[in-house]
Amino acid sequence: MKGMNNSLLEINLSKQEVNDLPLSDEILNDYIGGRGLGVKLFTDRIAPQVDALSPENVMIFTTGPFGGTSIPTNGRFSLVTKSPLTHGIFYSNSGGFFAPVMKKCGFDGILIEGTLKQPGYILINGDEGATIKDASSIWGLDTEQTLRKLKEVEGDKIHVLSIGPAGENLVKIAAIMNDADRAFGRGGVGAVMGSKKLKAIVVKGGSKKTEVNDPELLKKFVKVAMDKIKVVPITRISLPKMGTAALVNVINTLGMLPINNFQKGYDERAAQVSGEAIEKQILQKDEGCFACPIRCGRMTKAGDMEGKGPEYESVWALGPNLGIYDLITVTQANYLCNKLGIDTISCGGSIACGMELQEKGLLKDNDLKFGNAAILKELVKKIAEKEGIGAELSEGSAYLAKKYGTPDSAIHVKGLELPAYDPRGAVGHALGYATSTRGGCHLTGYLASLEIFAAPKKIDRFTIAGKPDLLALKQNQKATEDSLVICAFAGWALGLDYYARLLRAITGIEYDVMELTKIGERIYTLERLFNLREGIGKEADTLPPRFLNEPLKEGFSKDNVVPLQKMLDQYYYVRGWDENGVPKPDKIKQLGIEFS
Amino acid sequence: MVVDKSIFDIFDMVGKHLVRQGLNTSHSGNISIRSGGKIIIKRRTGMLGNLKPEDLVETSLEEEDSGSLIASTELGVHRAIYLQTDAMAVIHAHVPYCVALSLIEDEITCIDAEGFALYKKIPIIDVEIPAGAYYTSIEVPKVLKNYPFVVVRGHGIFAKGMTLEDALQYVTGAEQSAHIRYLTLLTEKPLKRDFSKEKDFSSW
Repeated sequence: MKGMNNSLLEINLSKQEVNDLPLSDEILNDYIGGRGLGVKLFTDRIAPQVDALSPENVMIFTTGPFGGTSIPTNGRFSLVTKSPLTHGIFYSNSGGFFAPVMKKCGFDGILIEGTLKQPGYILINGDEGATIKDASSIWGLDTEQTLRKLKEVEGDKIHVLSIGPAGENLVKIAAIMNDADRAFGRGGVGAVMGSKKLKAIVVKGGSKKTEVNDPELLKKFVKVAMDKIKVVPITRISLPKMGTAALVNVINTLGMLPINNFQKGYDERAAQVSGEAIEKQILQKDEGCFACPIRCGRMTKAGDMEGKGPEYESVWALGPNLGIYDLITVTQANYLCNKLGIDTISCGGSIACGMELQEKGLLKDNDLKFGNAAILKELVKKIAEKEGIGAELSEGSAYLAKKYGTPDSAIHVKGLELPAYDPRGAVGHALGYATSTRGGCHLTGYLASLEIFAAPKKIDRFTIAGKPDLLALKQNQKATEDSLVICAFAGWALGLDYYARLLRAITGIEYDVMELTKIGERIYTLERLFNLREGIGKEADTLPPRFLNEPLKEGFSKDNVVPLQKMLDQYYYVRGWDENGVPKPDKIKQLGIEFS
Repeated sequence: MVVDKSIFDIFDMVGKHLVRQGLNTSHSGNISIRSGGKIIIKRRTGMLGNLKPEDLVETSLEEEDSGSLIASTELGVHRAIYLQTDAMAVIHAHVPYCVALSLIEDEITCIDAEGFALYKKIPIIDVEIPAGAYYTSIEVPKVLKNYPFVVVRGHGIFAKGMTLEDALQYVTGAEQSAHIRYLTLLTEKPLKRDFSKEKDFSSW
């Protein structure tokens, strides 16, 4: 298929074998690339009930047909693997500059299985292919040190995926860092890489160009897309000026900024860690990924430390959700998470859970209490090293709360800690949390775009009418976007109607919105089938009890709980699943899925 | 079946808007949403400008059922649109300026800045028998796969949206662009600035 190399790098670490894996047009037509391609290859290859931290787990990094072209925000790529945190299929997405270089090296992705005997790293060296190299000198280093060291060895013009001490120590909330300051953040994917004793993947060089069927048509459509990005306020002003943390004040005003482990939805002190505060107090400059006109990244300086971020989710997770409003401390904790390779959302969620347990008198640790900023950075280090209370926090909130006898104190879905929108303030978004195939994720369907940001239109955030239908549609379409691959933030301005035309210009194949949506449905359904095989079904499509039974007491989202069951029944019906959330045989057949 | 008040309220608001703005006559036009895997649509002969809760009918997305008996005559078009596109809401209106231009043009070019930026162009299709569902149910969804709206020559507009309000914006926006184009055509004077000439959307 034009737009793709039709080739994947296949690496078996146990056997130290490196091969080219040809990709057929058939698989690319049915799953495109990115998340879809990863999900298809992953589910074809992995055996049932594989331990996520065993050699049998597979990691698949993939880019898509948009990658390496002039389409805005195309520098992203996907990772699909099995999560040690959720025990289900997990897809993650990252930006930066790695993916376009990987594609220039002639590969649409990298499939990794097995385990090294000694720590190593993979070098993909231009058109020369890949080798596995010794990493004993960088094992134990943080991600910034690793990047510096690898540049000394492999040259400055490299891009690096790496794990920090958290991944090496198999911390269940460990991330894979991308050039040390972007991330495949969620689901403990860093631990999967650590279990393979794989410290890093390095790419450099390459001369392959992405083949485009009609360059002139693509140029026309890209111009239209760029013009739209330049006129939509969120992509033109908000994200470039304040980054994603622009959301802090918006969400707090709506009474759905989770405070103290989702016990409240509003705190006026949140302004101290808002996008405006970041811009005034710590911002050095903005920064963007490959081919990105939006540039939401923040290069910042906090006290004696410098780095990237914090993003909205990070500033909330390490700030208001812990009762902490000291921007410098929160930002430094964020830097530490990046250096040590830890998911900021799950890190904050696990600590918040611990603080609630302490508040309830169940966890005897006098320092672990809401608002205690003094312990935050030390806690992050302890999590990475699995030291003291950090060892328990490193397993995630579901483990922690269960251990102390109050599972309801863990704010998670399917083991993955929830992000920064209280579901009681947007019921469609809440259904998205409950039904996401990867667990407590806000990006899977992101109905918040309509319920909160009125993009493209405002819908009532408390009514359930039409929400299951709309969520299923958006989940399917997001799966397609993740397969093209394009940044979610481009979606504030563009949509599948634009992407269908762009894909047509690249491939020469006539696509329409509905056909792309069906591809997304195929991907989403296959993810569901995998999870069902692993024992993750209807009982996991739920929310922590406080969202179903306990209304918030103040703010603009008060007196509301999530009417989940009614929406869930409709959601299954809309999707063509039975009352137990199992896709019906005719739906599986209609989508052309083969999986057992 | 009586639908939730929140659903009725949005139908009521959109219905009143369509009639008061002269986009439908007292008894013409129909609107629907997709909800819970079904369609909620205005019943036949219900007045869009004076809807009652019992004027809304819930019916199957895929097959004939008892709701079909009393649903809008154009139910078949709505069904076909939902099954073949990503529509979550559909509006059919007899917008006069779009209809007038459809009788003299093959495509309505948006010459105004707003219309050009938001809609680019308004496609027109010919249907053998425009009124009633049969022919339009075949032709309209084909266009709505890639455009938010389409004008059936001499008949009216079909617009889709994520919500009824979204579809309403497409209907009113298309009509405004058509109105502006119509007024400039009346003057028979050359345009000082024609936004449609500033970019090539022939392949869009």
